[in-house]
Amino acid sequence: MRQPQLLVLLLVGPVLIMAAFAISFRSSNPKPSVVVVVEPGSEGEEIFGRYRELFVSRTKFRGTVESVDAADDLIRSGQIDGAIILPAEPSEAIRKDERATIGVHYSTINPIFGLTVPNRARGLLFDLNDAMVMEGISRQLEEANAAREQVDALDARVDAARAASRALTGDEARRTTAELSESLNALETSLRSIQETAPEERRGEIGDSLRQIQDAQEAVSAIREIQEGEEIQEELARLDASVEALQETLSKVPDASPSVLTNPFRLDLENLAPFQPDIAGFYAPGTLAILIQHVSISLASLSIVRERMSGAYEFFEVSPLSFGQLLLGKFAAYLLVVLTVNAAVAAVMVGPLDVPLNGDPAPFVIAMALLTVSSLGIGFAVSALARSQLQAIQVAMLWLIASGFFSGFLFPLSEMAQPAHAISYFLPATYGIGAFQDVMIRGEGLSRLDVLGLVTISSVSLIAARIFMRRRIS
Amino acid sequence: MIPVISAKDLGHSFDGRRVLRDISVTVEKGEIFGLIGPSGAGKSTLVRALTGYLQPSEGEVEVLGKRPSTFGPDDRRRLGFMPQDFVLYEDLSVSQNLNFVAGLYGLRLFDRRRAVGEALQFVELWDHRKKRASRISGGMQRRLQLAAAIVHRPELLFFDEPTANLDPVLRHKFWDEFSSLRDQGHTLIITTQYVGEAERCDRIGFLTGGTLLSVGTPQELRRAAFGGELISLSLRGDIGDLGEPLSALERVGRLSEVREESGVSGTISHARLLVEDADIALPKVFRALDSTGASALSADVLIPSFDEVFFRLVQENSRS
Repeated sequence: MRQPQLLVLLLVGPVLIMAAFAISFRSSNPKPSVVVVVEPGSEGEEIFGRYRELFVSRTKFRGTVESVDAADDLIRSGQIDGAIILPAEPSEAIRKDERATIGVHYSTINPIFGLTVPNRARGLLFDLNDAMVMEGISRQLEEANAAREQVDALDARVDAARAASRALTGDEARRTTAELSESLNALETSLRSIQETAPEERRGEIGDSLRQIQDAQEAVSAIREIQEGEEIQEELARLDASVEALQETLSKVPDASPSVLTNPFRLDLENLAPFQPDIAGFYAPGTLAILIQHVSISLASLSIVRERMSGAYEFFEVSPLSFGQLLLGKFAAYLLVVLTVNAAVAAVMVGPLDVPLNGDPAPFVIAMALLTVSSLGIGFAVSALARSQLQAIQVAMLWLIASGFFSGFLFPLSEMAQPAHAISYFLPATYGIGAFQDVMIRGEGLSRLDVLGLVTISSVSLIAARIFMRRRIS
Repeated sequence: MIPVISAKDLGHSFDGRRVLRDISVTVEKGEIFGLIGPSGAGKSTLVRALTGYLQPSEGEVEVLGKRPSTFGPDDRRRLGFMPQDFVLYEDLSVSQNLNFVAGLYGLRLFDRRRAVGEALQFVELWDHRKKRASRISGGMQRRLQLAAAIVHRPELLFFDEPTANLDPVLRHKFWDEFSSLRDQGHTLIITTQYVGEAERCDRIGFLTGGTLLSVGTPQELRRAAFGGELISLSLRGDIGDLGEPLSALERVGRLSEVREESGVSGTISHARLLVEDADIALPKVFRALDSTGASALSADVLIPSFDEVFFRLVQENSRS
């Protein structure tokens, strides 16, 4: 209670860090930024156009490219998280009773949290298959309806043919028509005889009757022609046409297995990262960076405040040493000690512990030196400001806790919201972890961002330490 | 002669609290100047203002002809400083610590070895030079700190409570070393809360509550505290029976603190006589007593302790 500032720091510091983490942490995977690779004029492009909404809703859609190489270049340069490669002619594969392959390229070295792109791609595949099956079923239903009508028509034709056939093949019908025809002929002969002898005023009536008989005779003739099979032929021809139409309809139903028809697409995931470490290998560079930062800040944070409390600082201040020289002397000594310790730790990691070092040793050493310098700078600034050693140690511990949450060591920054990103800019470990992962795992050189970040923190913190040293005395 | 230190109306405040006020003092080359006062009197703050570690908020100060706040490395090489506590590195040996400090003051390798050797000889730590600082006694650590202050042979030395918590023998030894340094031509500013150590200083400044009560030689301060010099007298008989002798003594000086003491050999009266010059007044005292037939058991020049001197000065200051 006698040190309210220390108490506040002790209580409020961790609470603030936890609050910032709670605000920043996102329980759902963020959408990865992707491009879609489609061949112009292909069926794949048509599918993408038809289902574009799925791609846009599942990802941060960054557009389409025409070649896989262009997409891979964008991934490697860090401009996008992944690429979805649509097959040019997926129907060909399906006709061969094979699923069409959607390629997914991405790059991650994180075996635990680096699954955003694959997870999103699986979701997209599920949606796409679902949507395509739905649409296919709808289309098949429409075509089935058409086939049903054709079958109904065919059925009617068959009935008609059957009726006609039945009619034609009945002996009674044949006899009846023959007798009818003979009767009509006899009637016509009789009427013509009557017409010749009948009075003039009745001849007209008889002529009408003769015309009616002729009509009836034509009708009988027609019936008799049926007996010769012309209508049957006509009905059979119609039947053939219906059968052909039905066959055509049925031919549209693909000849593929149900598993292919229900899941027409499959995923082919490809991680472009040159080296994919196991969990221990992945966390080793981060652990080293956190260790270097913590050792450096802790040692440096005690250096000035301890000597100020003991009176040594006053002794040095009376000597010809300037503040700058005093700081430089301490800095050089601590840098030598911490670098020696770090080099030994790194040697043990790379040697007996078999942690991979895929890149050149030179950028690794440079990253280690820059991280040490920037962390020492922060430690000196803290030490120059602190009112007691306990306060200095407390701040160093808070820096360690903040680094665990916000430097990308435990949780990838890409999957966290603000204020995590803002806090991460002030942590040397953020840049140190990035640099060590680049060199040790990816086998690359140092990124400009990491170098710039560490150099900036080093410069600002050392200048601040120099100013705080003077102010604290005043 | 240009004084080594000259301060005029010096004052300083911490967070609105005045810790030094109206300090005006000069220190001459080759003297031991003692800043004496109780804990919290402002001694260390004054030393910090004089070394340039602290920028005073009021007044003017010059040390070695320059304002301390403008000191460059060459000016600082002319200063030596011994803080209150042991502030060197306990993990280094005695000689390594001294080598380090010699390096701070820019001594080159050859000069450094010689200077370190001389300093160790001076503080009698030569035989312990290879011991780690953590393995030597507190008194030795203090002597090592003294050696660190003088290793580069500075003109002006500041010692902040160098004898605090030391046993009387060691304190005596330290003062012998300070006198030796003074004799070699160094100027020494020494703070102490042991008022009795004022006797070993050439000049003293009594400091209390951030105010410099008085400055002067030990004799001057005694005189200032009591208004002159004192002669202590012991006479046989009651005070009531000594009316005539006491009246005769009043003509030589001013009587104070007259009291009687009863013992097996009868009653004895004690008195203090304040005179301008005790050496001149003492024969007059004897003549006055002889003229009245008083029986004097003893009469001598009284040198009061600086505790008493300091107490009276503080009382005077309170009254004024």
